[in-house]
Formats: sequence, structure tokens, C-alpha cells
Amino acid sequence: MRKVLLTLTLFLAATAARAKEVLPFIENDYTKAIARAKTSHVPLFVEAWAPW
Amino acid sequence: MRAYVLTDKALERYAGRFVWLAVDTEDAKNAAFLKKFPIPVLPTLLVIDPKKESVAMRYPGGATVPQLKKLLDDGERAVKGKGNTADEALARADALASAGKTKEAAAEYAAAVKAAPKGWSRLGRASESLLLALSMTNQGEDCATQAATLYPKLKGTISGANVASTGVGCAGDLPAENPKRAALLSTLETATREAFDDKSIVMSGDDRSGLYQALIGAREAAGDKESAQKLTAEWSAFLDAQAAKAKTPEQRASYDPHRLSAYMALKTPEKAVPMLEQTERDLPGDYNAPSRLAVAYKAMGKFDEALAANDRALAKAYGPRKIGIYRTRADIYIAKGDKEAAKKTINDAIAYAESLPEGQKSDRTVAALKKKLETM
Repeated sequence: MRKVLLTLTLFLAATAARAKEVLPFIENDYTKAIARAKTSHVPLFVEAWAPW
Repeated sequence: MRAYVLTDKALERYAGRFVWLAVDTEDAKNAAFLKKFPIPVLPTLLVIDPKKESVAMRYPGGATVPQLKKLLDDGERAVKGKGNTADEALARADALASAGKTKEAAAEYAAAVKAAPKGWSRLGRASESLLLALSMTNQGEDCATQAATLYPKLKGTISGANVASTGVGCAGDLPAENPKRAALLSTLETATREAFDDKSIVMSGDDRSGLYQALIGAREAAGDKESAQKLTAEWSAFLDAQAAKAKTPEQRASYDPHRLSAYMALKTPEKAVPMLEQTERDLPGDYNAPSRLAVAYKAMGKFDEALAANDRALAKAYGPRKIGIYRTRADIYIAKGDKEAAKKTINDAIAYAESLPEGQKSDRTVAALKKKLETM
């Protein structure tokens, strides 16, 4: 997937605070997130990203 | 995606339906996660079933708001286990891809696409994932052939555009002696151009930029340098206009890497300097702007400025991408004629690469660095 490989560069870092405005993201803590998903019986959404 | 999509109010209704986790793959804190769920493409979006701690939905790439809504709906459906034969194959494929078994995943994605009933809403995602898996496992002819078969079914959608552009890249990379190369290249370039011209497709600036790159690559693969250069100039102007419309520094900076690539292709790296200096001022904690400045200065033959920018980038960088900054530094020394400093830099890079935790450490990267050292 050349397109993805070549264009993933546009998905840069923004501050975590901005994303939290709409969706309550947990930052860099899988253990906490999966535990919360288990207790609240909802799926876990993961955005894997890097500063780019 | 962070700058444009995840802040969109249209996603508010999904807030309580998921737990939301952002994973910076460069951060050592996430090494255990990365060992469990390898991430070869950034960004990658996952929906994980909390009962099984397994991947129920995987999308390797960024998404617009409408795409993301669909992915979230798909993820919920997959966790509930509702679906047909195609859904089951897609779920197996996503799980295999998430375990790093890309070749096996490609076979299951192909099975999903083959079993897809008419109107199956997951065909786009399955097709995109299939092509990625094929291209990652060096199955370029299959990638291009599948793209040519799937495009007509996805025409008029963003997935169709992605399938066409990925496929044309695979076709262009085929060896010149491949008898199918010319026909596949022509078919898929036409498809990519059609998607590019289709104003009804909701497309991010990133998506359109990707189509420009695919079309430029297609012209280069066809040996038409003049058209490729003309398209590159159009692409560069498009990116400049997009950046000028950005509402935040983060949005503007998101175009930096593509703008730098375009300027470099047009042999005008000096145009990147004010843009990157602005980003370095706006986002002082980010290593990317000085890292790119080093690349631009090197192309301009300003080696001392390049090393100074590279120093600033190294001081801020962390994670596997820091290795790339070391590589740039070694290349600057080589261009400057200082072979010993270049060797020392590669040794530093090897030591750093070997120090990364499991999940971030790559044996392939270490081997490539050692090979580079041997050739110096």
C-alpha cells in the first residue's frame, strides 16, 4: 500500500488535550485502558500513532 | 488525523461506546503493547475485544470522519461476532495482521473479498488491507491484479481511490520484463486519475496528496519524466495552498513532510527552510522540524547548518525514529567528506538501536546499520 506508506506522514502529533476535547483518550496506558474496557463492557479503540 | 479528525464534534456520540486509547509507538512505555500488537504502518486504528484481548477490527491508515464512523461501527459489529462468511474471514485476517502474520493475513483478506456478498459494506476496508498485506509481502503482481479487479466495485469511494493508488504503485514497482506490467500500470493509472477527478468523494488533504504521489509515480514508471515533473509542481502548489488554509500550527505542520518531499523533487530544498523554521518555533518540543531542516540544509550543501539542526533533533527525539536521525547525520558527514565521523555516528545508532526495549527493537534495523557500517 504505497499510498499509505507514503502518506502516513501527514498524521502528525497534536497535543493530547485537543483530542480529549471530543473523545476521552487515555494516553499510553494499555493496562489501564483494557481494564476500563473490561469493567465498562465496551470495546477498546486504539489509535497507534507517532509524532511525524 | 489528530489535527483534523479526532477533534471533530461529529464523533461525540461515539464517546461512551468505546474506551479510547492513544499509543505513541515511539514511547518506550508502549513496548509491551507493541510486542503484543505489532504496528508496521502509522497510523493504525484498532478495535480490541476486551473479553479476549484480541483485535476485532484493524485499519492500517488514517481516516476521514465518515470513514472513522464506519470503522467504529464495524468494530462494534465485529466484537459482537455478528456477520457472514466474509466477516468471519475478515476478522481472522485482522487478527493475523495484528499478530504480524502478514502473509497469512493476505490469504484471509483475499478469502473475505472473494466471499463478499453484494453490497457488503466492509469490502473497501478488506480490499485496502489486502493490498497492503500483498505489497508488504512482496506480492506486487497480485497486488496490482487484485487492485484492477476490485477498483470497479469500489469506484466513487475513498476506498476505491486508495485501491487504485496502491495498485498503481504495485504495478509501477513490477520488473520491466513482467508481461502484465504495462497493462496493469495503464489500467490503474486511469483508475487513479478517475478517483482524483471525482469531486463527489470526501477526501482529506492527505488523501489527495497521496493520489498526486501515485500519479507522479505512475508517470515516472512509464518513463514520462516531463509529465511527472509537471505533476510534482502542481502537487507542491496544492500542498502550499492547503497549508495556507490551516487553522492551527499542528494542521499547517502536518503538510511539512510532503511539502519538503515536493520541494526536494523540484530541486528547491531552500523553499522548505522558512516553513520548517516556523514549525520549529510553533512546536518547540517536536523533533520533526529540525530533523527535516537538516535534510533540507544537506540538500543545499550547507553541512554545518545541517549538523546544527540535526543536533537539535537528536536532543528531542526518542524511540525507533531517532535511528533515522542518526542516519541523516551520517549521510551529512559523508557528504561533507568526514568518513570517520560518519562511522562513529552509525556506531552510535547501532548502540541506540540495540538499547531499545523489546517491541521497539528491530533486529532487521540493527542488521541494516551493521551492513551500512561495513560498506563505509
